[in-house]
Amino acid sequence: MLGILNDVKVVELSGSLSGAYCAKLLADQGASTIKVEPPTVGDPARVEPPFISEESNPDGSSLFLAFNTNKRGITLDVSRPEGRRIFLRMVQFADVAIESFGPGYLEDIGLGYAALTESNPTLILTSLTYFGQTGPYSGFEGSDLVAQAAGGFLHAVTGSADRPPMGTVLEQMEITAARNGAIATLAALMHRKQTGEGQHIDVSTMEAAVSTPSGLIHPYSFTGQSPMRGGSDGNVMDGMHLFTKDGEVTLTTAGTGGRPMEAWAEFLEEPGLLAPKFASRRGRMENWEELYGLVAPKLTQWNNLELMEATMARGLVIGLVQNPQQVIESPHLQERGALVEIEHPVNGPMLYAGPGFLMDGVNPMEGSVPAPRLGEHNEQVYCQELGLNIIELENLHEAGIV
Amino acid sequence: MGVLDGVRVLTLEQVHALPWGTSFLADFGAEVIRVESVDHMQDRRSGPFPHGQPSEEWWNEGGALAYFGTRNKSSLCLEVVHPKGKEIFLKLVESSDVVTDNFRPGTMRRFGFDHESLLEVNPRIISLSCTAYGHTGPWRRAGSRARTVDAACGLSYLTGYEGGPSVRASSNYMDHSAGNNAAYAIMLALYNRERTGKGMRIDLSMQETGVSAIGPAVLEAQRGITRPRLGCGHLWKSPHNIYPCHGDDRWIAIAVSTDSQWRGLNRAMGSPEWAVDTRFDTMEGRWRDRHDLDEQLSGWTSGQEAEKLMLHLQQYRIPSGAVFTAEELAANGHLRDRGYLQEFYNDHAPQAGVRTYAGRPFRAPLMPLEIKHVAALGEDNWRILRVLAELSEEEIGNLAEEGVISDRPKADEPAP
Repeated sequence: MLGILNDVKVVELSGSLSGAYCAKLLADQGASTIKVEPPTVGDPARVEPPFISEESNPDGSSLFLAFNTNKRGITLDVSRPEGRRIFLRMVQFADVAIESFGPGYLEDIGLGYAALTESNPTLILTSLTYFGQTGPYSGFEGSDLVAQAAGGFLHAVTGSADRPPMGTVLEQMEITAARNGAIATLAALMHRKQTGEGQHIDVSTMEAAVSTPSGLIHPYSFTGQSPMRGGSDGNVMDGMHLFTKDGEVTLTTAGTGGRPMEAWAEFLEEPGLLAPKFASRRGRMENWEELYGLVAPKLTQWNNLELMEATMARGLVIGLVQNPQQVIESPHLQERGALVEIEHPVNGPMLYAGPGFLMDGVNPMEGSVPAPRLGEHNEQVYCQELGLNIIELENLHEAGIV
Repeated sequence: MGVLDGVRVLTLEQVHALPWGTSFLADFGAEVIRVESVDHMQDRRSGPFPHGQPSEEWWNEGGALAYFGTRNKSSLCLEVVHPKGKEIFLKLVESSDVVTDNFRPGTMRRFGFDHESLLEVNPRIISLSCTAYGHTGPWRRAGSRARTVDAACGLSYLTGYEGGPSVRASSNYMDHSAGNNAAYAIMLALYNRERTGKGMRIDLSMQETGVSAIGPAVLEAQRGITRPRLGCGHLWKSPHNIYPCHGDDRWIAIAVSTDSQWRGLNRAMGSPEWAVDTRFDTMEGRWRDRHDLDEQLSGWTSGQEAEKLMLHLQQYRIPSGAVFTAEELAANGHLRDRGYLQEFYNDHAPQAGVRTYAGRPFRAPLMPLEIKHVAALGEDNWRILRVLAELSEEEIGNLAEEGVISDRPKADEPAP
């Protein structure tokens, strides 16, 4: 691990994916991060299918494994007075607390921002919720799909104009909220170094969705038109997915010096593309079925990787629509060391996604540790760091607090 | 005053991902100098323009320019391919903290601005290149659009209507994700330099940022687990979809995660006969018969007004949200109440008047962020060249005459 943030201590008390991912972004850069889970059941993501191992077990959820790398894990029932007392002690030594409960929940159990800062006046508390801490929707229940809906992404971005709205997958709005949360948290850490002040950061997943596409609000404000999904409908050269021999591809008209059809006609050896009706974008859209009939059979003669290489050599710009299997087997990503191998005691060694950047040529997540097993670091944290003796820990365990 | 006060960023950026990323740094108070060229006006041409009509000074009035392009940044319109331009750029590097670019790999080396060359003039420099596929590996020379990266990272393959083909996840989601990631990476490097005194070279890949957004699928693929495309559906939750409401293209999203939420939904519907069905008592049963359930539920939602229905369902604590349009969001009381939306008047675009912009999706009380200023083309030429490059007025005048610096597009640049 590169460990840029290895002087930062984070406690995570989160019930949703945005909080887990936000803490992961800090942990993957070396922040000493303790994930606090409820005893017995643990983080709800632990029981979310699909499972990496044969049968469901609390260490096999792909979602949990992917979102909790480089954290240590303890169990603690913070809703009980003894658990609350212990949590406040942990907060004394922490720089950042990350939580993603519904607004008001932490106040209800005596762990609101005011209570936490009584323990640690310079604490940074980062709260990630679907609708934010304030405003008429703040008490509302959400999910990633709900955030895509209420945040305008569903209506405007992914699906077809003549079909119902359709969004994207794998909790992208929660991830976007988490990325914003990590930026804000790191800025708050810098602010604290300069001024000694902590603060409470309020991240909204709905707002993350609104700000995600190239902006919904200002295009409407400038033009009076709401951006509408369907940009790839009937768009053979600039948006549709087309089949190759072993996969799918999306073409573009970029890199063709303003003469896209000439360039593609030559590359695909299909002179039909030179017909005047395909010369303009509008003409291509109006005659898309005919255009598709010319292009599609040519592309199915190509293998994905060969097509990528050949178009690259000509300066044509395409995107291979890779499935996750093709992604992990990608020679390009392998050569870059983009994925890191992490050995998990139950699930064995697996490749995990890196952070998306190399620093001085090195993947900062090289040498990562896997998501913690439930309560894996109880003894380490409670006895070695918080100074409890083993009997006290056993008593907490018996009382169901740990 | 901002947390990045005193940090100077020189950025050679275009289109979306990197300008979006550096706009965070500018919001936090960094002096972000966007180095522009009159030969590359595409971002200033991209609008949106008031009522779709660019005015005479179109290059300073686009909405995307204000939202992130030169938001809180400075503009230095300097031709770095000109020998004098190159010399000035390197002079500015001496007093800068960060240099960023999103050219294809190799371009910065051709300019003489690769990390090693920058180190010679500033040993503490942080550089970040934001590219589609990174600076190493066999695809490094490939061009891209954000959606080709959505494709290459695996996200688009997983996206699609139930039972249908894959569709692009978005036109520019990966621009935004990569931009967010760039802001984060640069702030990490600044944090690191504060502790160690050392700069670094960051090689940020949009594709790999995308891979980091499909982490669970990366693991599943290694165990032969594939994800079906389910549209707005869910792998195991039901009801979890969008349902039609009153009006044209009006919908509500409902996402039931637990049996108790399902019982709540039943109560919210007044316990209709079809819903009191043992098939639907468990998540497994609801998921198995989800098409039937979705159809029945659609019967109940259709005819109701989406936002009212959202408020009704939320009283029963059902995760639900109306499928809002941009028009509705611009007037949304919740967003207004939270101070998320900003009304902003761009001094350089009086004909645009006051327009509404989205804010940052977080409130940080000690670091309030907003659009304060939008840099006009070459607005900061004189200040930067006088103060930072220490040129005389005469020298600057000569540069303007030679076309090395500009404050308006070339005479033959057509209006957008």
